[in-house]
Amino acid sequence: MTGFDRILMTTGAVVLALIWVLPLAYAVWTAFHPSEYEARFVLGAPLTLENFVKAWNAAPFARYFLNTFILVTGIVVCQFVLCTLAAYGFARYRFPGRDILFSLVLLQLLVMPDILIVENYRTIGALGLVDTIAAIALPYVASGFGVFLIRQTFMTVPRELDEAARIEGAGPLTILWRVYVPLAKPIYLAYGLVSVSHHWNNFLWPLIVTNSVETRPVTVGLSIFSTTDSGVEWSVINAATLMTSGPLLIAFLLFQRQFVQSFMRAGIK
Amino acid sequence: MLANILKGAAAAAALAITAAAPARATDLQFYFPVAVGGGAAEVIQSLTDEYMAANPEVKIDAVYAGTYQDTITKVITAARGGNAPQLSVALAVDMFTLIDEGLILPFDDFITSEEDRAWLDSFYPAFMENSQTGGKTYGIPFQRSTPVLYWNKEAFAEAGLDPEAPPATWDEMVEMGKTLTKRDANGNVTQWGVRIPTSGFPYWLFQGLSTQNDVILANADGNKTNFDDPAVVEALEYLVSLSTEHAVMEPGIVEWGATPKAFFEGQAAMMWTTTGNLTNVRANAPFDFGVAMLPANKRRGAPTGGGNFYLFDGSSDEELAAAVDFIKWITGPEQSAKWTMATGYVAPRPATWETDTMKAYAADFPAVLVARDQLEHAVAELSTYENQRITQIFNDALAAAITGTKPADEALAEAQAQADAILAAYR
Repeated sequence: MTGFDRILMTTGAVVLALIWVLPLAYAVWTAFHPSEYEARFVLGAPLTLENFVKAWNAAPFARYFLNTFILVTGIVVCQFVLCTLAAYGFARYRFPGRDILFSLVLLQLLVMPDILIVENYRTIGALGLVDTIAAIALPYVASGFGVFLIRQTFMTVPRELDEAARIEGAGPLTILWRVYVPLAKPIYLAYGLVSVSHHWNNFLWPLIVTNSVETRPVTVGLSIFSTTDSGVEWSVINAATLMTSGPLLIAFLLFQRQFVQSFMRAGIK
Repeated sequence: MLANILKGAAAAAALAITAAAPARATDLQFYFPVAVGGGAAEVIQSLTDEYMAANPEVKIDAVYAGTYQDTITKVITAARGGNAPQLSVALAVDMFTLIDEGLILPFDDFITSEEDRAWLDSFYPAFMENSQTGGKTYGIPFQRSTPVLYWNKEAFAEAGLDPEAPPATWDEMVEMGKTLTKRDANGNVTQWGVRIPTSGFPYWLFQGLSTQNDVILANADGNKTNFDDPAVVEALEYLVSLSTEHAVMEPGIVEWGATPKAFFEGQAAMMWTTTGNLTNVRANAPFDFGVAMLPANKRRGAPTGGGNFYLFDGSSDEELAAAVDFIKWITGPEQSAKWTMATGYVAPRPATWETDTMKAYAADFPAVLVARDQLEHAVAELSTYENQRITQIFNDALAAAITGTKPADEALAEAQAQADAILAAYR
């Protein structure tokens, strides 16, 4: 790579990074300053935490955070278990109808979840689960994307490892646990990240299927700030946004190295 | 913040205790959207609690359901899933959609006594236009609004205009707008004359202009639109000319959500927006401001807006009768006064304005009366069968003319043809 190329690449990266970070920077600016400074960027503007206090008091956020935490943990654990078992079956076993079943799983990737809302609601209603955290999670636990992703990874594991383990006397589940899962770790990390952030941010389905404070996630709390009739209070809404996305941002910053590496390794394979 | 967490925990515990109280005879579920700031959800909850305290045999679960858009999605999903609430607040314009889906019941079935009939007739007729069709009443006005003109008295005085005289006609608005538009040395505008937001749902404020030009956008049966009427075209040309020919308004699509802020910061000396903003403007405008009816052209005019109570099919008659009783109570003068003062919505019955609470409030803040007085000139908000699609088509046409991609007449003629194709099935 010539010096010129490198300069071009670096400038491009910096410009892209700046564009990407701009909304976040604006959110931070408005959240920590009084509302008079929403559109005036003066260095000496007084700092305040009042917007966060206002936002926190506008909805029962403590409960909402707990609900969201239970929800995403539950979903990711269920997805890992179900998708791993299904992927193992599809990757390493021959059984009648396997290909048809697998194409049905792939078909699920093509269906927008939004158009299934009414049917899902009916199913949840028939199970008597309306207004529970389980109701929010259930439609997502059997993820077609997860099955596909993990199956593709399992397919790349050399058969020899599998056979060697079998000669040592390992059963199918032991092989899965000792051979396949450890080799697919980066994929689990990457998939877990995508899944957590998706369900952390999901709004419409939780809003529809739940009714009470005890079951609703943070996004529902955030939505009460979208007061279209009376104009938007940017400082409070941005404080609330930072607050609700805060845990994700912090987690990403803490585990940044692992995340990026896992994506890199996943890509190289 | 820790104190608040503890408070929240205490509240949750209190809730758990109430939930454990003996079951009441009638359980109702009530969905409501929130579209204004200022703790609207808490006011609804406290009114509901007040009703339950007075009627121990009824339990009402008031469920916050997001924006108007979210609420209609939630309520339709729940109803199709066989789990409809007994009552919900939703946009008045969704009436035809809800009838078409077969989800709502007319209130007439639950109106038995003379007194009930009188209650049904006691709302402002302008609000009932969006609530009745085919001789039946499907909606009870609750959180209703109408657009008004806000003006900055300081800016008027500074420009040499009478700060107490807002524009009364279209021409005056243009003339005053020219005086009020200020430019800096480089020719950049620092203060626009007027701001009519056009983002998101431009049809609503535009309907102010079309009504003032003495034309109705859709018939009362909700199956025919008049988008290509010459008077509609003329109204749209006027709107476009504000930023092109007269240069008194910011060109392009003008953001709805940023409008109050622009007014507070002096970027626009007049703005058109909903009365739902009144409390917000009163609290945040750093200058003396006035509120006036929208200016007239051939006549005065404005659309109504906002949400109605609907009664959903799928519950027993006793439950629905209890729901109607609750709606009757919450639209009562004292309750409605409380709601109006907290949010800025227009109280939908003359009786509310006769209460001492409202009289005192209006004496202290006469601006609240403007919207009420404008009601006699108001018309039903654009509402048709397949309402979402029709308004989308119309919004797109307006946006095309405003951004200059199509001339007004061509954009509106295309919109009319598309609307005809959809609505033909309902004629």
